[in-house]
Amino acid sequence: MLTALPLSTIPAADEALRPAIRAFLAEHVPGIPPEIRARSWMGFDAGFSRALAAKGWLGLTFPKEYGGAGLGPFARYVLVEELLAAGAPVSAHWIADRQSGPLILRFGTEAQRRFHLPRICRGESFFCIGMSEPDTGSDLASVSTRAVREEGGWRLNGAKIWTTNAHHSHYMIALVRSSGTAQDRHKGLSQFIIDLSLPGVTISPIRDLAGDAHFSEVVFRDVLLPEDALIGEEGGGWAQVNAELAFERSGPERVLSSVVLLDAWIGWLRAEGAADAQSTALLGRLLGHLAVLRAMSVAVTDRLVRGESPVVEAALVKDLGTEFEQAIPALLEDRLGADPAREPPAALLRTLAYTSAMAPSYSLRGGTREILRGMIARGMGLR
Amino acid sequence: MDAVVTDDLLAQSAAELFARHATPAAVRAILGGGPAGVLWSAVEEAGFADALVPEEAGGAGLGPADALPVLLAAGRAAAPLPLGGTMLARAALARAGMAVPSGAIALAEALPGEALRGRVAAHGAAEWVLLPRPGGARLLPVAEAERDDASPYGTVLRWASAGNAPTLPEADWMAAGAWATLAAMAGAMERILEETVRYATERRQFGRAIAAFQAVQQQISVMTEDVFAARIAAQLASLPGEGGTGVAGLDTARIAAAKARIGEAASRVAGIAHAVHGAMGITAEVDLHLWTGLLHRGRLRFGAESHWNAWLGAEFLRGAEAQSLAFVRARLAPPLAENRPAEETTP
Repeated sequence: MLTALPLSTIPAADEALRPAIRAFLAEHVPGIPPEIRARSWMGFDAGFSRALAAKGWLGLTFPKEYGGAGLGPFARYVLVEELLAAGAPVSAHWIADRQSGPLILRFGTEAQRRFHLPRICRGESFFCIGMSEPDTGSDLASVSTRAVREEGGWRLNGAKIWTTNAHHSHYMIALVRSSGTAQDRHKGLSQFIIDLSLPGVTISPIRDLAGDAHFSEVVFRDVLLPEDALIGEEGGGWAQVNAELAFERSGPERVLSSVVLLDAWIGWLRAEGAADAQSTALLGRLLGHLAVLRAMSVAVTDRLVRGESPVVEAALVKDLGTEFEQAIPALLEDRLGADPAREPPAALLRTLAYTSAMAPSYSLRGGTREILRGMIARGMGLR
Repeated sequence: MDAVVTDDLLAQSAAELFARHATPAAVRAILGGGPAGVLWSAVEEAGFADALVPEEAGGAGLGPADALPVLLAAGRAAAPLPLGGTMLARAALARAGMAVPSGAIALAEALPGEALRGRVAAHGAAEWVLLPRPGGARLLPVAEAERDDASPYGTVLRWASAGNAPTLPEADWMAAGAWATLAAMAGAMERILEETVRYATERRQFGRAIAAFQAVQQQISVMTEDVFAARIAAQLASLPGEGGTGVAGLDTARIAAAKARIGEAASRVAGIAHAVHGAMGITAEVDLHLWTGLLHRGRLRFGAESHWNAWLGAEFLRGAEAQSLAFVRARLAPPLAENRPAEETTP
């Protein structure tokens, strides 16, 4: 059984960051149309990421000696919340700031830290994560991309797929097999930092159903990796991949993916006086859900800050959060079609179309709904 | 004393009391129309009903957030008592400098019209009913009420006249009653989850526990999510609002969000619990219906989802906020901890 989460609040010192962030966003984001802002953390704009870097807001949680701001997870929570609420294009630096940087900080050598972290903080190094393969999805331990040790380094062969931003990134941190066979499952997996400019790396963007090319297939043919491409322990890849999952599953990005659509709809309700009784009640319902989810997300973050690893609670936040994110476009399709004699603004409809189309990905990325529910069941002692 | 420790001690003593006195058999007897006096006396003796009464007036001086564990425990036992209502009514009486009569006080949902009519539930132990009226809530004796109508959701009581009944200043008693109701519902849901997990690991089909089947696991996971959300919602609803103008400082916006969220959770949780229990859960013998019944009745009392969702949506639109998240931060989040040092957040 799980125990109840105590309510928590974001410390005042971290909240103090919010006004400056909001002022910056008010200046840089309103010109972007809502259907573009609806891309949320999938919106790519390297220039915007560098502007954030210039404010010192990339690598907020990295130590100062590596170019970071030396702040805690709640400072980043505030930043991310405001970025996503505004629909700022954060995708360029997102993975480096959220996953790759913290991974390098935790498991990297001093040389790896000194090389990569300052570049991430300056918005010069963008990262992607190589997990899925053509035959490996939820069953991540079945990866077959293989790094074979040889004189002076490693020889890499295989392929990764659905890799977000691979074609925009400088580096990939990939989970690959460095010993044993697929039957060895979690054993024999390692993580490598792969310079994507190396010979033998072929990146083919895959067009998504919204017309974007946010993910790619990346093929490795006899790519020669230097000795120091290995990050962390050889054979320790599985544990390393799992170490950060609670952070990745309980943050604002698991609740706010459809918030640009929600706020665009609210804007229309206000401007047009379009709020009939059903729309008003739906608005209230969505606000209530958002309030509860945010309280859960903040409470889980507080546990993480205290050094606990609330993996099951985080899975719970992600599953509920993505359900909320998916409910918004589903419910608004009904609302915006409730009165056939009324044509909602085209920008709102474009925002709805994009969000409706991409919403299924919310419960795929970062662990599918079924996998998460399996984790919760294990937490409840059912398996 | 440390707040968390107080919380735990109170939760523990409440859990022990209800485990001893509100056994499923005792609850069934009361629901069947039997006397609730013994159970109520135990609650009264423990001081729970005076939890929100200021210390200078002889109470424990707790806030709703401190008293929440008691109501959760009562909900876990499905205790059919007007405990939350009594807590709130006594606090309001004491704060208004009025005499607090002995005996339980049931909160009524006022029915409009000239007549003094209101709907009450689980009022078996109540000697008094607090009936909100234009101009203030009236404290009316149950003994002088006539029964108009009754259903599992409540009994409609009517008084010929208010006589010289004490009148409390006007306050949002609808929200107060919703808080008492949602707290019991959140507690009941935690119990349902435990019972369902236990049943799923004991009941065997196809040669193994039904908990071993993914289809069952996934349903119980969904239920777990709702139960967790309900618990957090109840905690949020127990926090004071900005002005602190509600009964015992309660805040209508937080309660609106929580009552609606918990009502939504309740119907899913009850449905899954029954699905997992199979035909056994439909029998009178199995206790599950004590808790699922509380959920169904609770949804309807003091405003169901439709009522509170509409209220909250209208409240948002009355203001000028453009962003949903900004509204949630301003109105529906725990108050900021001004004095917590930032160093605590550094890992």
